[in-house]
Amino acid sequence: MRTYVEFAIKKFQNKMAYRLEFFMGIVNTIITIVVYLCIYKALYEGKAEVDGISYAMTATSFVISLGLSNAFHFNEMFIQDKIHDGSITNEFLKPVNFVFRLLWENIGEGLFRVVFNFLPAVVFACFYTKLCAPYSMGNFIIMLISVALGYLVLWLLSLIIQVLSFWLFSVWGIMTIKNVIVNILSGVFLPLWFMPDIIKKIIVFTPFESIYFTPIRIYLGEVTGMEMLSKLSLQLMWIGILGGMAGVLWSKGVKKLVVQGG
Amino acid sequence: MENIIEVKNIKRYYKIAKEEKGFWASLKSLVNKKYEIKKAVDDISFEIKKGEITGFIGKNGAGKSTTIKMLSGILYPDSGTVKIDGYIPYKQRKQYVKNIGVVFGQKSQLHWDLPLIESFELMKYIYKIPKKVYEENLKKFVELLDMEDFINQPVRQLSLGQRMRGDIVAALLHSPKLVFLDEPTIGLDVVAKEKIREFIKYMNKNEQTTIIFTTHDMQDIEKVCERLIIIDQGKKVYDGTIAEIKNKYSNIKNIEVMYEDGSKEMKTFDINKIPMNQVMEKLFTEESIKDISICEPEIDGIIRDIYEGKIELNADTKGE
Repeated sequence: MRTYVEFAIKKFQNKMAYRLEFFMGIVNTIITIVVYLCIYKALYEGKAEVDGISYAMTATSFVISLGLSNAFHFNEMFIQDKIHDGSITNEFLKPVNFVFRLLWENIGEGLFRVVFNFLPAVVFACFYTKLCAPYSMGNFIIMLISVALGYLVLWLLSLIIQVLSFWLFSVWGIMTIKNVIVNILSGVFLPLWFMPDIIKKIIVFTPFESIYFTPIRIYLGEVTGMEMLSKLSLQLMWIGILGGMAGVLWSKGVKKLVVQGG
Repeated sequence: MENIIEVKNIKRYYKIAKEEKGFWASLKSLVNKKYEIKKAVDDISFEIKKGEITGFIGKNGAGKSTTIKMLSGILYPDSGTVKIDGYIPYKQRKQYVKNIGVVFGQKSQLHWDLPLIESFELMKYIYKIPKKVYEENLKKFVELLDMEDFINQPVRQLSLGQRMRGDIVAALLHSPKLVFLDEPTIGLDVVAKEKIREFIKYMNKNEQTTIIFTTHDMQDIEKVCERLIIIDQGKKVYDGTIAEIKNKYSNIKNIEVMYEDGSKEMKTFDINKIPMNQVMEKLFTEESIKDISICEPEIDGIIRDIYEGKIELNADTKGE
């Protein structure tokens, strides 16, 4: 465990080496927040509520999902690149689990983004517009757990597609499609409250709801008490399913590489 | 000394898709793809004793890397067995890799943006090196390789020679019993090469590290290795000491002739076919010569002749 945390720390330090990128990241996040909040404001046309959802809720939901997607920021072509230049095999020369190492490195990079890009941008957003406070302290803590689980769901989706590069020459196209689908169906840009009913019904059976929407609803107090636990277990279920799929694909891929020689 | 590496009849064939030229041919290959078999490693066996330092050479594409991959556990052989220090590398990879160190000269494993020392720190956690061992090793290696000046510099600012020294240290910090060095001197200047050679020799002598060394630089082989394995087209063509191979070809003499007008020419003779006195007689009667110097064959030349097929290695020159 200590070894893997060390990978995260190293990645975090690595990111700090680029100061310009760091400042531009803050500017970028602030611009994104301002642009989207303006769009929402225009869509509300001064009304207090749309479909029973206030502007502040929409704004809060956007800021939280932006934070999570900030955390989820890494090179999704990493495994493909390693397979293309053949250096993937060298990764097996170390007594570490490559997948866990990757996860922790990505977490390190994500934490860097959250601490240095997202948090300053949130402080800015608080002055710029009114955001909802968390529903209760309990909800806030559960939300943090739910955020971590949401991150894992997102990460596993990416891993599954990355691992496909053992068989496909390029996964860039699939990855792009996946990202569009995730952005729309998990409600990064348009919160899921506003989705047509039929799509809402479908989304319930997909992992997309578990990514951003569950933590947001817990934060806002739309989900409370025991219902929170059932939402968390739904997230855990998706982690189990996706993790299982990724695990099978990964071990098949490694076998292909090691036994058949790529 | 007991054997640390035992390789028996390993084979590794690759299936390569045959690409034909032309539009119709590529359409046809969608349905009916043809494959060629390339014998990357074709029945190689050898043993290496503990504490030996072995040079592993061959032309580009001769099968060196494939062999090294099988020895380091990241590739299964199609047939045959590899046994290293009680492990079967490709089957017990996770346990096995704790005991080896690998340097790929062409690929760095250091963290590009961080000071060199940070990459070493990470090795401490990856291999769970006890603090005392880590500090001792680090101090010793940094001193031997003259690295005090740049250990706190980010890797991206290092020269190739400095980076390579960093890579070698990173692979050796956990005191592995067996080390694979894949072209560790590629692209380096004479001074950096010499430093690395000295270090490799030191590790072998003082820590009894078994070392397998691939290179295209014959100076490396001559200065560092005791034993030489030459691979060509997937087969072992020579296995023996450097001195032996030189002895075998000591009958080949190179004579540099300098003519009256100052021009020079290199001539090669086999003194088993033409004795030296006849060579001299011929030279001095036919030309007007100012000076001659006779050179022993260099390992470079011998290896080149083997690669080019000019020297047939018959059974008795194969060592063992």
